[in-house]
Amino acid sequence: MDITFIKRLITTSIGRKAVMAVSGLLLGGFMLVHLAENLLLFKGEAAYNGWVDLLLSNPVTPLLEIGLLFIFLAHIITGAWVRLEDFLNAPSGYEARNWQGGRTIGSATMLYTAAAILAYLAYHMLTFRFTDHSMGFYQMVTGAFRSRMFTAIYVTGSAALALHLSHGMQSAFQTLGINHPKYTPLIKIGGILVAVLMTGFALISAYYLLGIDLKAAEAGYQVVIIR
Amino acid sequence: MPKSKHFNVTVRVWRQAGLQEPGEMVSYSVKGVSPDMSFLEMLDILNDDLLKKGHSPIAFESDCREGICGCCGLVVNGDVHGPDEHSTVCQLHMRRFRDGDVITVEPWRVKSFPIIKDLVVDRSALDRMIAAGGFISINTGAAQDANAIPVEKDKAEEAMDAAACIGCGACVVSCPNGAAMLFVGAKISQLALLPQGGPERNTRALNMVAAMDKEGFGNCTNEYECEAVCPKDIKAANIARMNREFLLANLFSKR
Repeated sequence: MDITFIKRLITTSIGRKAVMAVSGLLLGGFMLVHLAENLLLFKGEAAYNGWVDLLLSNPVTPLLEIGLLFIFLAHIITGAWVRLEDFLNAPSGYEARNWQGGRTIGSATMLYTAAAILAYLAYHMLTFRFTDHSMGFYQMVTGAFRSRMFTAIYVTGSAALALHLSHGMQSAFQTLGINHPKYTPLIKIGGILVAVLMTGFALISAYYLLGIDLKAAEAGYQVVIIR
Repeated sequence: MPKSKHFNVTVRVWRQAGLQEPGEMVSYSVKGVSPDMSFLEMLDILNDDLLKKGHSPIAFESDCREGICGCCGLVVNGDVHGPDEHSTVCQLHMRRFRDGDVITVEPWRVKSFPIIKDLVVDRSALDRMIAAGGFISINTGAAQDANAIPVEKDKAEEAMDAAACIGCGACVVSCPNGAAMLFVGAKISQLALLPQGGPERNTRALNMVAAMDKEGFGNCTNEYECEAVCPKDIKAANIARMNREFLLANLFSKR
């Protein structure tokens, strides 16, 4: 059996980038679903916990979690590999050097936002995944968001995620060869839109930190975004 | 016509005796520069002066001096090919500068293009990538009648746009990662878009990308600095086409 075509995904520059692009797009899709899940917080404790129970009781969930872990690892490993090679190859030693306008804040900070997202992910896993869930998921999440430090970390992490995706989404399509004057402008706008949506995680966190739900309840309003 | 006003500039230029030798920036003053001179003519005058004084002239590469050969390539005041957009450095004129200006002139500084002397670099890595597949080796027979091989107008235009690449290496130098993707993308595209390039498209994509990796160029992070400086305005869509050619060849060819 000839597995050269699989080897090329690891051994060639474009192969590694393709793995990075596909895993990046899958992760971007996951983040959108994850955001939608978290909007259930606004529907109330019963709805949120009900969804979590449904996920945890589904036998497929652990398999999806393992799949997600592999996608993360593929993205992190190929990303680190690509950036290490680029670091070694970067033109250097100039007395003067100007960029000509191709770079964006998002593209120039990919490595730094990647590191910030990794730290954010580790914190998220330690505080929500590998922790005591006895108080119930809704109480755990909303309680955590009422902490200033917690929300500060979420706002920083979400900002890094948004900046990362502002370049990453369109870059992934280009890497996979999906570029055409007809739809590339739409892909670029879509990428920015997904990036902006990522600030939703920060907004949810800030919503509970500022106690908007409690104030609304006191005033006799029930905030319902999803019916 | 009014007589142009001559002026003086200081040129800070990279001097390096040879391959692997240490180098340094050296300042020279150039007097009586005409605004009508090209940048390379200004360096010619400086070299005449250096020769008269018994010094070694500054080595730099040039051939056509009309922006079509790709030989000249310098970083002027931090700009690849100088401050003009989509232009080669031989098309830069001294009217872009003012009396008393200090102009830094540096060679392409990227690992894959080792500096041979002063401002001259070895760009043979580009030739080796072409040798790996940037050609057609099938027998195309005698010259065909003009319309014997139908080519869609849009495809012909795109192929010609890609074929405008002069192989100067500015894309590699402007890339934050020292990648040669725009060059290889253009060379793969100019053939992939035409019927004659079709039969060998898979081996071409696989071999040229393998050669590119072997030469130690960086990876593309889609920042499009290459597109912004390319003197022939080659588009990054050619990089996407190369990625497509490579990934499809990897999946669907027998190699």
